[in-house]
Amino acid sequence: MNIVVLLKQTPDTESVIRIAGDGQSIVTADLKWIINPYDEFAVEAALRLKEKHGGTVTLVSWGPRRVVESIRTALAMGADSGVLIDDPALTGSDGLGAAKALAAAVQEIAPDIVLCGSRAVDYDLAERGPMVAELLGYPHLGLAVALDSDGSVVTIERPIEGGKVSLAADLPALVTMGGSHAVWNPRYASLPGIMKAKKKPLAVKTLADLGVDAGDCGPDAAKIRITALEPPPERAPGRIIDGGLDLDGKAKALARALREEAKVL
Amino acid sequence: MKRLVDERDVKFVLYEQLRVDRLCDHPRYADFSPEMFDMAIEQAEKLADNEFYPANKIGDREGCRFDNGQVHVPAAFHQPYRKYCEGGWLAMCDAPEVGGQGFPVVVANACIEFFAAANWALLMYPGLTHGAARLLERHGSEELRELYLSQMYSGQWGGTMCLTEAGAGSDVGNLRTKAARRPDGSFNIEGQKIFISSGMHDLTENIIHMVLARIEGAPKGTRGISIFLVPRLRYDEQGQLVDNDVNCGGIEHKMGIHGSATCVLNFGENGRCIGYLLGKENSGMRIMFDMMNEARLFVGMQGLAHASTAYLHALQYAKDRVQGSPIESLKDPNAKRVAIIEHPDVRRMLMFMKSGTEGLRAMMHLTAYCLDRVRIAQSDEERELFQDYVDLLIPICKSMGSDLGFRVCETAIQVYGGYGFTSEYPVEQFLRDCKIASLYEGTNGIQALDLVGRKIAMKRGRLFKNVFKASNEILVKIKANYRLRDLIRIYEEAQESLIQATKFLGLKSMTDEFHVPILCAKPYLDLFGEVVIGFLLLWQAHIADRRLQEIYKDHNAKDAEACGQVLKSNRSAAFYRGKVASAEFFINQTLTQAAGKARAIMNNDKSALEIPDDGFALV
Repeated sequence: MNIVVLLKQTPDTESVIRIAGDGQSIVTADLKWIINPYDEFAVEAALRLKEKHGGTVTLVSWGPRRVVESIRTALAMGADSGVLIDDPALTGSDGLGAAKALAAAVQEIAPDIVLCGSRAVDYDLAERGPMVAELLGYPHLGLAVALDSDGSVVTIERPIEGGKVSLAADLPALVTMGGSHAVWNPRYASLPGIMKAKKKPLAVKTLADLGVDAGDCGPDAAKIRITALEPPPERAPGRIIDGGLDLDGKAKALARALREEAKVL
Repeated sequence: MKRLVDERDVKFVLYEQLRVDRLCDHPRYADFSPEMFDMAIEQAEKLADNEFYPANKIGDREGCRFDNGQVHVPAAFHQPYRKYCEGGWLAMCDAPEVGGQGFPVVVANACIEFFAAANWALLMYPGLTHGAARLLERHGSEELRELYLSQMYSGQWGGTMCLTEAGAGSDVGNLRTKAARRPDGSFNIEGQKIFISSGMHDLTENIIHMVLARIEGAPKGTRGISIFLVPRLRYDEQGQLVDNDVNCGGIEHKMGIHGSATCVLNFGENGRCIGYLLGKENSGMRIMFDMMNEARLFVGMQGLAHASTAYLHALQYAKDRVQGSPIESLKDPNAKRVAIIEHPDVRRMLMFMKSGTEGLRAMMHLTAYCLDRVRIAQSDEERELFQDYVDLLIPICKSMGSDLGFRVCETAIQVYGGYGFTSEYPVEQFLRDCKIASLYEGTNGIQALDLVGRKIAMKRGRLFKNVFKASNEILVKIKANYRLRDLIRIYEEAQESLIQATKFLGLKSMTDEFHVPILCAKPYLDLFGEVVIGFLLLWQAHIADRRLQEIYKDHNAKDAEACGQVLKSNRSAAFYRGKVASAEFFINQTLTQAAGKARAIMNNDKSALEIPDDGFALV
């Protein structure tokens, strides 16, 4: 089975995020970068498919040269090869622009299935998967929490309000991963895996290499702009209900606070 | 916020201070790159954070269970242990020919810090296995290696070191376990060992014990001790695994590391326990000492790791916990309440923890780096030089790591206030788990004797001279930095105090007052350790200050106000300023006491010896 995983590099979820002077971007110096956790689920799902059916897992990503580290980490988990689209023309592109570049790279590989996270933990736009699927003319199955394939059809499960739904589509198809770390439990890269990753093929391509016109996906083509970023409000200190009350009194005070102040009951 | 290890500081030690990237220039490490080191460290952190740490508190609460001869580890230990072994972490720095991953020792040490900080009790199982496997690799016959080694390095089987007996702890020469020759060259083993970490457990189907015993007719004392490989399950003539009469008589109930099984082991209760000699007869102590350096560094790492996580927990708590008003509005009842990190005394405690942890980290990784340099030395002289550094630093790593690590844990509880004393918060566990480090693998008193009685005198004092020759070469470069001149002056005075104390003890050892160096051995080791840490932090301050000045220059910050702005907005600048602060704090607060500590050693105080036993108390 020829499997492609779209992989994005995002800041570590525990990084301290600071907004840059322009008010529209974040300070990227001194950030620790990781594989977008939802894309890591996709890597895990891809490796399980490969273990079942054989074949290869190819990682496709875009971004600056530092993204190589994340691709190598996924190679160390067990993927076979990687493609990084590194082109300065993509700086400042919007989601659609990036999706065009990714779709072109996927097209070259002509996979049976494309897997990626349903969202990224940075801007949380949840648009990459559907966009790439649309550009490739693939069916798009979103938010999978379970995935299986017999080589010609892919079936997934996804949660819906109060239950779950099973969906199927003919291959080639694109599936985005939902769920959580506990659902997918992505494997750790082993030390032998790290040793092997160094020797696995990793191609760095420009838009020209992919036959994509920079004017179609660069900042000038962007249909969406970020106009402002704001940090979340500072966390207020916790409140301890005591006031010399007995257990019943505390419970009542807590219930009142939850209903009248927090309005969650 | 991550609360195991300050990864940025690890990278600072590795790449900016020790320049471990240069190890990749050597053929032995030519397959590696700094990117691979980083990837390994990142995965270690992830595995430690996601798998080891969640099992830490559970392991403490649940403890090990002894049931009819079998020992059950906390159930939560099984999955992380399996993942650790699957990842190849157990034999990370061992040669690929024996199933290892071939990484530099210093990089493996950096990874160990994460696992150790996350769950020391769990890490002890593979840690002990590794030590035993190394011993087998170096001293076992080809046949024994073939039978047992690869299962140990993979973690499929466990391993232990069996030294201690009821009557033979620090006095190991007094041991009574017997070995009787069998016609086929193997030995019948009979005796009881106590305090055996990982002696019996259900993580692995088999456990390979390295047992010190005396062959019948061998001399008394340490000269008559041999070392044997004694499997729990041994191969019989048909190549089947059969029971080898190694039985667990019970486990200890301890102050800490509850998840680590500390066992009483009975060998040959039924006369059916067979052991296989490692190395030559009566060379057990020499072989054991060969392993001692790495085992003691490992225990030093425990102290560092507990310090590291205790510090980061306390730091987070100090930032979150709101209590009291700022010092300038102390009497105003309406003043805004602030996080306790605003309070000077809390900041002082945090600085003690930060500087101590960073100093220990530099010392441990420097020592591991020297082990790498021994491995890749280009000449016998070079090998001997780096081995000398290691031999001198090991007792200091072990003793300072455990003692200072414990004090950092204690200070973490102090930062938490009364809450830190409750089991609702994790820091009291760190303190309990950490305490054992000053006791096992040779008590810290034994470490001090090793330093004063052996290492200082060894090769006519050459180890000592070589270490200070190397540090002085670096110091010459640091001295070019006028911003550090006050710190350098204090450091040099402290170093001189140490040299004077060393000479004093050397002279005393040749007189009939030879017990004075023994009496002062521990204070001397502490003084030595503080000077080493002071030096390493000063070296770090020099590197950090250079980087900081570059950042100021890049931001065109020319006055104090502009620099202050850079420190607020630039996290790298804040990090480097923090490194300089660690050196300032440690050198000003601790190294200034060196002269007094040297004086305490040199004033020939013998009160502890002269006091009559009844004079301690009439009870």
